[in-house]
Amino acid sequence: MKAAALLISLVLAGCATGQATIGTQVPAERLSSSIVPGRTTKAELLAAFGKTKAVVFDSGYESWLYQSPVGGGRFAEFVVLIDPQGIVVRTRQRAPAAP
Amino acid sequence: MRPLLPTFLLVLAVSAAGGSAAQEPVAKVNVSTTRDPVDKSYRKMIKGMERFEREHAFAPNAPLHFQLLPRTPDVRMDGITLRVAGDTVSVPVPVGPDNSFILPRNEQALREDAAVLANRKTVSMTWRALIRTPGLPPDTRRLGDLRLECRVGTEAGLVSNNSQLFAWLSNALLSADHVCNSPEGNYLFFADRPLFGVRLRAGDRVEDLPFKMLYAGGDQTPEMLRFCDCQVLLDRTYYAPLWDRSWPDDTLVEFDYMTPAESAPAPEVRQ
Repeated sequence: MKAAALLISLVLAGCATGQATIGTQVPAERLSSSIVPGRTTKAELLAAFGKTKAVVFDSGYESWLYQSPVGGGRFAEFVVLIDPQGIVVRTRQRAPAAP
Repeated sequence: MRPLLPTFLLVLAVSAAGGSAAQEPVAKVNVSTTRDPVDKSYRKMIKGMERFEREHAFAPNAPLHFQLLPRTPDVRMDGITLRVAGDTVSVPVPVGPDNSFILPRNEQALREDAAVLANRKTVSMTWRALIRTPGLPPDTRRLGDLRLECRVGTEAGLVSNNSQLFAWLSNALLSADHVCNSPEGNYLFFADRPLFGVRLRAGDRVEDLPFKMLYAGGDQTPEMLRFCDCQVLLDRTYYAPLWDRSWPDDTLVEFDYMTPAESAPAPEVRQ
């Protein structure tokens, strides 16, 4: 019954929940100045900002999401790619959509 | 081929009867095998092809192929053979090196409600429509192509989640018009390689997809993932704003991959 309930909820929701994605909130300037691709480690991210929303892949790569408040209840996204060795290899920022 | 719904209802009836008859001698009921979720209904796939013809305006310069994609970690994606199999008819379907194929029309197979069968285990693969306008810049797709892929793929019943119950409920509850016209439609696309970001470009308008439109929403737990046909391609998945008509069909969907092509950890899978 538990599996059936899960299946039904998955069908009704599709493969995603459709809920807002929540990442730890950190000011954009702090993220930009603290995270250096090729040098910053996963342990350093955890120590500096705590846990946040993360997706771990079979390849060993991880994608972490932080959110930066921009006012009006809106958030910019700061996404970090961590390689299988635990090193940040890339970052990107996404401005919030227009209200 | 045996329709799934009556079998499903029969299973429910047998299950319901089981409680009250627990102390009585049990009569054995043999239920014939239902269609494997990996095997596709030929009639449904032809309906998908007919929808492609009706709505070709979404992608006027693109041909229609179908494609097989890995669903479980252990599946071998080379040497796949495919055939259309009815009660008396068997039609081989050539499969390309990228595991794409064109489905032939066969009236006898239609009459016999044939299945499209691959020589692979249950839920080891998933299927998608493949509609690609020629001449696009590298590492891009065209939004109109994706809109049509969704309509054809949903009409054809190609999404292969790991449960017959799941598949039956999906078919019963989610029409192509709902899936492809709603922000909640959740039709998953697969990029060639693992994604770091996806950007939409239409003239001067440029916008990155939010994190929640990558990686099947980013909320998949291991327990959920085994039911999703994105199980081993999670890092390649994205949703496209099919429903948002402010993005025209000629919108380019640009992929920013995790790693450069030469150091990509996984073999390339054509969309």
